[in-house]
Amino acid sequence: MPESLVISKGAEETTRELLRSLLESGKVSAVLALGRTGSGGEGVAYSLFTDPTAFEEGGAACPLFPFMPANAGGLLSRLTLQGPPSEPVAAVVKPCELRALIELVKLNQCSLDNILLISSTCSGVYPLDAGVDGALEEKLPGYWEAVKQGEVDEDVRPTCRACVNFVPENADITIALLGEADLDTQCTLHVNTEKGAAFVEGLEGASSSGELESEPVQRAVGQREAFREELFAGVEVGMQGLIRTFGRCIGCHACKTVCPICYCRLCYFDSQDAERSPEFYEGELQRKGGLRVPPNTVFFQLGRMAHMSVSCVGCGMCTDVCPADIPLSTLFSKVAASAQALFEYQPGREVTEEIPLRTFEQEELVQVAT
Amino acid sequence: MSEKSAARSSGATLKAEGGVAAALVGWLKEALEKKVFDALLIPVEVPAGDSFAYLLLQDPAILDKASPLPPVMPVQGGKAISRLTMRGNGSKRVAAVVRPCEARAAIELSKLKQAHLDDVCLITLDCPGVLPLSDYIGDPAAGAARFAEAAAEGDRSPMRPTCQMCNHFSLLGSDLHVGTLGADGTILIVPGSSKGERVLEGMGMPVDAALDDWSARVEEAEQAQTERRRQAHADLRETVAGAENLLDVFSSCINCHNCQRVCPVCYCRQCYFESAALKLPPENYLARAGRKGALRFSPDTLLFHIGRASHMALSCVSCGACEDACPMDIPVGQVFSLMADRAQEALGYVAGRSLEDALPLVDYEMDELHQVEQPYVEIYCKQEVQDA
Amino acid sequence: MENQAFTPRIVGFLCNWCTYAAADSAGVSRFKMPPSVMVVRVMCSGRVDPLFVLTAFFSGADGVLISGCWPGQCHYQKGNLHARRRTALLKSIFDTLELEMADRFRLSWVSASEAPRFVQVVKEFTDQIEQAGPSPICDELFL
Repeated sequence: MPESLVISKGAEETTRELLRSLLESGKVSAVLALGRTGSGGEGVAYSLFTDPTAFEEGGAACPLFPFMPANAGGLLSRLTLQGPPSEPVAAVVKPCELRALIELVKLNQCSLDNILLISSTCSGVYPLDAGVDGALEEKLPGYWEAVKQGEVDEDVRPTCRACVNFVPENADITIALLGEADLDTQCTLHVNTEKGAAFVEGLEGASSSGELESEPVQRAVGQREAFREELFAGVEVGMQGLIRTFGRCIGCHACKTVCPICYCRLCYFDSQDAERSPEFYEGELQRKGGLRVPPNTVFFQLGRMAHMSVSCVGCGMCTDVCPADIPLSTLFSKVAASAQALFEYQPGREVTEEIPLRTFEQEELVQVAT
Repeated sequence: MSEKSAARSSGATLKAEGGVAAALVGWLKEALEKKVFDALLIPVEVPAGDSFAYLLLQDPAILDKASPLPPVMPVQGGKAISRLTMRGNGSKRVAAVVRPCEARAAIELSKLKQAHLDDVCLITLDCPGVLPLSDYIGDPAAGAARFAEAAAEGDRSPMRPTCQMCNHFSLLGSDLHVGTLGADGTILIVPGSSKGERVLEGMGMPVDAALDDWSARVEEAEQAQTERRRQAHADLRETVAGAENLLDVFSSCINCHNCQRVCPVCYCRQCYFESAALKLPPENYLARAGRKGALRFSPDTLLFHIGRASHMALSCVSCGACEDACPMDIPVGQVFSLMADRAQEALGYVAGRSLEDALPLVDYEMDELHQVEQPYVEIYCKQEVQDA
Repeated sequence: MENQAFTPRIVGFLCNWCTYAAADSAGVSRFKMPPSVMVVRVMCSGRVDPLFVLTAFFSGADGVLISGCWPGQCHYQKGNLHARRRTALLKSIFDTLELEMADRFRLSWVSASEAPRFVQVVKEFTDQIEQAGPSPICDELFL
């Protein structure tokens, strides 16, 4: 059974070398990973790399960069929607992206065949607005210090600070990052599957049988759970709370567009069915004296919750993309936590675990019907 | 722009007691009560006080929190008008209090059959611009103060970049235009159509005030802004022209398509760039990645932006909603306003000027635009040499 | 907005084969019940999308009722079992966000032969909504 490989190079170098060798040897035909864009390298975007030199020192690829311009689960769905690739493709994804990916597989939007999934124990990503104009470079040293200590930089996405699902045991290969004090000189690759083992064959490193859930990781879970409670407690509840929060919502639906789980090509709320007739407007005028235009602001938010909260992985893309700075991910994660607890379900935990709304038990939830 | 000012020679007057906004809101209340129109679409402060939302209302009491010229434009008014009237006008006559670019967007949307303006009375105001949304939400009180001060001094520097170079801030193509520029205790209400004239009649306001002073001030300001715009576009062109520069501008684009979603003119329920047409088998993406060594994923970033421009530039009103919504601070509104101006110029069209102007891609002449029939090199390289 | 002269407006999604038949039967048998339920007949309680419930509330409904066949008796075998999960999910969302809608939303099982039970459900639910008062969002402009 696969175990772990301890490589005597720093994590950054190990990861780049692993990917470079996978490409060069032809074991994979492409790698989906973060890379620098723009002539000055100020931008960071996911790319499908086929050229191994991108992973050399100074190359464009930066696979472990603490940034998420798009949820890679959604990107892999885009890649494999019409079928798996004919040759293996490796993808370096964060734990929440991996979980989103697994949900999308259950939703028939994605295929795992021929995809080698590489993930890591995660200390979060910076919000999108921190990545404008190459401003993230100066945060990197502080970020990696925090990683080594098993902590989280305060400036990462709030949902990252509150994330307790940052140990991706179901990736093919998991890079141990969090709490690894000697990250600059040594890196442990946990090989979790037979598929993963086949791809790292030949890689130079000492075998070991360490646990992914190291002591620093366990400590981190406790810390993040505490922050999570605090974060959720700050959510404005009640209909008045929602009206206040979404007062500045402009109905752009960007949150839905970047959400990896919201896969509908034509969302109900963009469709003809959600369009309102003059009779509707006049009826509301009669009933209330006035109404917001465009209407359906809170309706869209609650409706989206009803549709996707059982699969919400708390990645935080929604908050980052909101033009009105609404802390959507906190709100949606709070609702998702309750919804998922109700069904004892964890999105992305296991690909064979059916999504709660697609299945049922004959005897359950007796208290719901009265 | 003098043709606009000359189009109307007189207007009605309104005393700006307690300030322009208060006077206007009072006037609108009276109009509602007198049933000069049945309902009003106007920005109203939201319950949390951190933004404004368009409200359709017929209860005059709600107007207490209304603002005819709020510091921000969260939803483009043209889009709101389109949503309201997409399926027709119903039985109510609605007056919409909007900024000039919002009215122009509504006019374009009407031509694009996404809005019905028959029973909509477009009321515009002289516009000092709007603050970027992110500069307001964090501290609305400070934002409001900054906006009020800048507006009073005619200082556009805190406003959206597209507002800073706007030269269409005083429209006389709407049904009623409120002339506030340089107003000294009195504001002018200028009818631009029979609909507007009827409103003033219903309010018992004679249309007998001369517009000369105000017109002159507007024209002066418009000329200054036109020069600013020309300069801003020239500077911008330096930074975006050429493939490498353009790629740099969009290097941090995350393909969220916010710009398309908030754009009033982009009305497609399902954008082409999100449709099945661009969802391809993995071999397509891998082949492209193989050819170039890497393929940005999700792909087609520039295709989306240039494609979107090709779809909507002729109706672009340079409102800047796109730039406000971009999470990566890309100057997309400025880039699009540059493309839009050139495109509209090439086809002799001004977006939103009049309902009578046919959409340039729907209309045609037998004898026109021969220069584009010529080989590219012959015409365009020659132009560049001439310009240099 | 006074409770005295307040007839609750409850949108009822009743499944064709069971509850709708029961309601029909109750009517034919001249059972008395408050005129509070506006019936939307669906072929199965499993047809009810959470969005229907939300739409009803945002359109001004004071209460929403879904009623169908008893588990194990669904005309389509399992539609009502899906309905139960969706209801649980929606209630969880309402509860987590402390929305009053949680107490104004009910799922019941009433079979075709249980006309008196239908009457009882309607009476009980109407009472409950009467106590709770008109929908708290009926005057909200910024939805």
